[in-house]
Amino acid sequence: MTTPLTLTPGRAPDGAAVLKVVGEIDMSNTDAFDAALDGIEGRLVVDLSECEYLDSAGLSVLFAHASRIEVVASPVLVPVLTFSGLATMVTVRGS
Amino acid sequence: MTRSDDAGHESTAAVAEVFAADDEVGPDLAAVDWTRTPLGPPADWPQSLRTAVSILLSSRFPMWMAWGPQLTFFCNAAYRRDTLGRKYPWALGRPADEVWAEIWGDIGPRIDNVLTTGKATWDQALLLFLERSGYPEESYHTFSYSPLRDDLDVVVGMLCVVSEDTDRVIAERRMATLRDLGSDPSVVRTEQETLAFARDQLARNPRDLPFTATYLFGEDGSARLAGATGVTAGHTGAPEVLPAGVPDALWPAAELARGESALVELDGPAFDGLPAGGWPLPPVQALVVPLQQQGGMPYGFLVAGLNRYRQLDEGYRGFVDLVAGHVAAGIASARSYQAQQRRAEELAELDRAKTAFFSNISHEFRTPLTLIMGPVAELRDRLAESDPRTSGELEIVHRNGLRLGKLVNTLLDFSRIEAGRTQARYEPVDLAAVTAELASVFRSAVDKAGLDFDVDCPPLPEPVHLDQGMWEKVVLNLLSNALKFTFEGSIRVAVRADGREAVVTVADTGVGVPPEEMPRLFERFHRIENSRSRSNEGSGIGLALVQELVGLHGGSITADSAEGSGTRFTIRVPFGTAHLPAEALSDVAGSTAVSTTAAPYVQEALRWLPTGHGDAALADVKAPDDAATASGPAVPATVLVADDNADMREYLSRLLSDAGYGVRAVTDGVEALEAVRAQLPDLVVSDVMMPRLDGLSLVAALRVDPRTAAVPVLLLSARAGQEASIEGLQAGADDYLVKPFAAAELLARVRANVELSRLRHHHARWHTALIDSLQEAFFVCDEEGAVVEINTAFTDILGYGPENLPYTPAHPWWPDAEAHPDGHRRFADAFSDLLGRNRGSHTIPATHRDGHLLWISVMFNPAQDPDTGRTVVVGTFRDVTAEHYAIQRDTALAALGIRLSEATSLPQALSGALEELEGLWQARGVLAVVFGDRDTPTVTGTDPDLSWGDLDVEARARLGALRERPVLSPVVHGGSGAGITLEHPEGLMALWLDLDGRRPFTDQDEVLLSLLAGHLAHGLGRAHQIDQQRETALALQRAILGPSQLPNGFAVRYEPAAQPLEIGGDWYDTVPLPDGRIGIVVGDCVGRGLKAAAVMGQLRSACRALLLQQTGPASTLMALDHFAAGLPGALCTTVFCGILDPETGRLTYSSAGHPPAILASPDGTTRLLDEAGSTPLAVRPGAQRPEAECHLPARATLLMYTDGLVERRRRPLTAGIDEAGEAVQAGRDTALDDLATEVMDRLAPTGGYDDDVALLLYRHPAPLDLTFPAESSRLAPVRKTLRGWLAQCGLPPRAVQSVLVAAGEACANAVEHGYRGTTPDEVRLRAEALVSDLHLTVADTGRWQAPEPEANAHRGRGVALMHAMMEQVTITPGPNGTTVDMHLRIP
Repeated sequence: MTTPLTLTPGRAPDGAAVLKVVGEIDMSNTDAFDAALDGIEGRLVVDLSECEYLDSAGLSVLFAHASRIEVVASPVLVPVLTFSGLATMVTVRGS
Repeated sequence: MTRSDDAGHESTAAVAEVFAADDEVGPDLAAVDWTRTPLGPPADWPQSLRTAVSILLSSRFPMWMAWGPQLTFFCNAAYRRDTLGRKYPWALGRPADEVWAEIWGDIGPRIDNVLTTGKATWDQALLLFLERSGYPEESYHTFSYSPLRDDLDVVVGMLCVVSEDTDRVIAERRMATLRDLGSDPSVVRTEQETLAFARDQLARNPRDLPFTATYLFGEDGSARLAGATGVTAGHTGAPEVLPAGVPDALWPAAELARGESALVELDGPAFDGLPAGGWPLPPVQALVVPLQQQGGMPYGFLVAGLNRYRQLDEGYRGFVDLVAGHVAAGIASARSYQAQQRRAEELAELDRAKTAFFSNISHEFRTPLTLIMGPVAELRDRLAESDPRTSGELEIVHRNGLRLGKLVNTLLDFSRIEAGRTQARYEPVDLAAVTAELASVFRSAVDKAGLDFDVDCPPLPEPVHLDQGMWEKVVLNLLSNALKFTFEGSIRVAVRADGREAVVTVADTGVGVPPEEMPRLFERFHRIENSRSRSNEGSGIGLALVQELVGLHGGSITADSAEGSGTRFTIRVPFGTAHLPAEALSDVAGSTAVSTTAAPYVQEALRWLPTGHGDAALADVKAPDDAATASGPAVPATVLVADDNADMREYLSRLLSDAGYGVRAVTDGVEALEAVRAQLPDLVVSDVMMPRLDGLSLVAALRVDPRTAAVPVLLLSARAGQEASIEGLQAGADDYLVKPFAAAELLARVRANVELSRLRHHHARWHTALIDSLQEAFFVCDEEGAVVEINTAFTDILGYGPENLPYTPAHPWWPDAEAHPDGHRRFADAFSDLLGRNRGSHTIPATHRDGHLLWISVMFNPAQDPDTGRTVVVGTFRDVTAEHYAIQRDTALAALGIRLSEATSLPQALSGALEELEGLWQARGVLAVVFGDRDTPTVTGTDPDLSWGDLDVEARARLGALRERPVLSPVVHGGSGAGITLEHPEGLMALWLDLDGRRPFTDQDEVLLSLLAGHLAHGLGRAHQIDQQRETALALQRAILGPSQLPNGFAVRYEPAAQPLEIGGDWYDTVPLPDGRIGIVVGDCVGRGLKAAAVMGQLRSACRALLLQQTGPASTLMALDHFAAGLPGALCTTVFCGILDPETGRLTYSSAGHPPAILASPDGTTRLLDEAGSTPLAVRPGAQRPEAECHLPARATLLMYTDGLVERRRRPLTAGIDEAGEAVQAGRDTALDDLATEVMDRLAPTGGYDDDVALLLYRHPAPLDLTFPAESSRLAPVRKTLRGWLAQCGLPPRAVQSVLVAAGEACANAVEHGYRGTTPDEVRLRAEALVSDLHLTVADTGRWQAPEPEANAHRGRGVALMHAMMEQVTITPGPNGTTVDMHLRIP
């Protein structure tokens, strides 16, 4: 059993590519997360506003794509993104 | 659940659903082929059955149920574990009467009853023999059967909720046996009595000990049966004797002799027909344990037949060991008593050796005696007519020859008896006639002594077998004895028949025997000192011989005596011949004629008697009738003659009276002193060797007394030589004469001394005489306190004589200020009282001239000196030293006794006793060293830090030397110390008093020290026994108290009262309920001891069962009211009963007179749960009880306790409750178990709790404790559980997320690093919330990889995240796993 996670690619009203993440990300499902990111080319908004948990394995996926992503996150994830230093490399917006 | 039309699908789904509540038993139930049971496939089961099965399976409490016409069997996992054993899974789905066939006789009727009446049953501690472990097992169960109804409300089955009480019931039974065994240690018993006592106790527990046999080793290594229970002596399994060195002996005696236990299978033919004890079948195994002896080979061993219905586990083995320990201790004490008896016998042996010595010497005397006596007899006959003087002197020679001959013969009799060489010949004799004849021989002597002689010897019905010679000695000795000690009244001889015995009594009205001498009356060479008698001659063997001779006749002799009114000897001799050796019997009747033996007795007795009338001891031989003879004095003078030899006395008297002196004769020094004091003679002529007071002492006594100091003394002695005479003259004798002396020389010396004495004669001072006649010391003090006059008694007591008067203060007899500061002060106080001219009375210490300390009781009064008109103080005192020390001894023994009785352990007893000794002797320190089994001796000192290593070489040597001494004999090293050894339960103990050297350690101190040491040894032995009993009691209490497994989140303590050492009635209990809630009970039964513990056990079980029926706390207590009302001793038990929902923190509770629980909230407030209080149990049965509800806030702590924790004398209970509340608040950030210890320590009164304390703590929520496989797929469910728990802790969302992330990283690390490449193992997550600290631990059993930042950048990030999220992170890698420890402060 893997951790429940739904990954839905889409477009923002401004036309930018968006990956909507619902659920939790940990080492059991980072491969799926990584594959979803790889499946979208170019600049991308990763919408984590309905992601309840993100661990360092998930962070490492985000770091790998840091050059081309923006992150939308709920307040509960902000400390993790900040402490890990990701916030200094990508734009993190509140939801 | 929706029903599908597909039947197969439905069936599978239904099975899954019905059995899903449990994944252990569920699958096995699912595997049963239900179509073969009357219940049919689960799909067709009625809803009621499905519900029942779900409840059953989801319960964590042991349950089983039966349903349908065959009572088909179901059970849950807890029941499988606790009760079903090997019958699982076979039992599932089978008819209940098949599953429990072996106990169906017990339970079948109960189940029928439930099915027919629909009413539940209730059984407590019912004995059932379950065959769940491969053998029928003794087990006890408390259970209820409740009806189960189908959808139509018809009873179709039953549910059993059960708890097993086996451990408790068995522990109580064993404890009772151990208690009974230890119940009578006070009386010293013989080994036989001890074993009989133990046997009676062991026989009372035929369940744990179906049979026992106690064997004792003999000196040859064989073992002898000394006691048995259950099995009869003579059974082949318990032979009377097990010979040594037999390899295949029934019991392995050789191993046991080495101190090893052995387990013996009882399968040989010798074991056929062994008794079954309290069971249907006999034991199949026996445990054989040695009866250990301290520091030696075991005394023997105990064979304990084992209950075949229990396994031989640690507890059973320990019980048998304790029983054997008790028996061994009993034997040890009985044998030490025997050893003392043996010592007494050894002393008797010494006496026998003495006899042998004397008799050997005596033998050598016989020849010369014969050579003397023969010629003397001839001379007597030849010269009878010629010269009366010569014939008189020959008479003296003859008489003394006879006396010596008699003494020699008596000693020879002894040696014959001892050597078994008596050549007795027992002839049938008319005892009455023989006795009367013997008595008649003495009549003349008795008449002459002025006594009545009553001989009452009527004929007896049959003859008595006697050896005539022996019998004569018996009667003559008794008669001679009676005459010797009787001065007025009568002597009576009587013969009677009494049943099958002839009784001869010889009674007198003489001086009697003091009661303290009675036990030694028949002892050889024992003479009663200072008893008034007609003669001091005698060897002290007459009565001993009489006893031996009577014994040879198969008879007995006893004596009754009252001091001052007489003595009666009673001899009993059996009629017939059965008691006599056949080869020594003669059927020729003996004659009644008296043999020649009698002559010396009578002759000797006659010599004691005065020649004239009056006092036998003081014989006025002849008054001087002639004023002047050639050698006599010019003026009539009196001479006092003192000699214990009657012939010598008479000879001297005749010589002196012939010379014209007035003569008075006395028999010893004491009489001489009295005679001189009564009337001063002109001269004393005294023998040196005399009983009671010898000549030299007589002179000294005369010289000391001013009134008699001037009386001249002429000493006569058998000791020749210059030195002897110098000694005599130094003692103050005026002259000295050595025997034999010429009559003329004696007369010349007497005359010279009398004349000299007359020249220096002074007036008698009546004043002095008067004062000196006082028995108490007398003194007069002048105004300055100087002692100006004293009497003799003063000198006797203090040693200071009149020669150094006056004695000015401070007087020389004051106790030394240095050595006896306290005594000096007391003396000074008394003296200042005296100077103040008061009347006074004091008991004070004083120092004798020779330095020893004594105690005097002094009284004084002021008086007017008629000569000078000045005020003087007149005082008297007497010596009360003996009384003082007797009181001191009693006080010291009592104080030590109290110390020892207060002690609750061996070390405490010892250190208390040492303090007592230190105080008593004002010692600098007291040291006790036990030389036990350990390498280093154990040191206990009044200085608590002292150890063997701290002692210097000298001290160690001194203590070592002490070891060589016999126990209880003190050694004194000047004033600097004293030591003694005594028996300590762990070995020999040397005790050393370190004294300051200023005060001497006197004889009295030595006596006191050995008395106290003896007392101490006994006390230590007792304390040792208490120690062992305490350990047993505690072990057993723990066995019957409390649940063995506490639910998570609880901590408990139980502490028995420090004094007395008894099991108490306090208890706590937690009961996990089937719905996940937890019942909590803390209770307190009235009283202590086994009875209270038994009541407690029953209430606890009842309360447990009631809670399981899912009623509320109030209903539980109400039901318990009814139960308690019918249980003796349960009235007034207080109980706090609550039901806690650990998910929500909701607590409902009710209290039956119990102190309120204390709730400490994280905001610092403390609340008492006192809203549902009511009366103790059974006070008002039937009355409604209140119930209250309370919500435990997150991270609050709940304390429940019994009153021992908070109740103190002279303090309101509320003060104690407040203190307990503060203690819990103070420990808000302490882990729960540590908090329990802190609360117990903080509230403990000095000296320990004086009542039992039971304590139970709960902190909400309970710590989270998860173990999961190290697989990444488990991370999400773990997070979910953790999230739920964190919510219970009431943390803010931000903190919750921090903990989740940190925990998630730690778990991920454990999953990823801990097990790369190996089989996943387990990870353990533990979280505990204190008031302001959250503590999280993640532990795995693998080794983390060294960080490789490039390869695993995100893992390095994980650790960084943990640090960022938590306050404190510690990662401890180790060979057996890695532990991450994290803390978060809770705002």
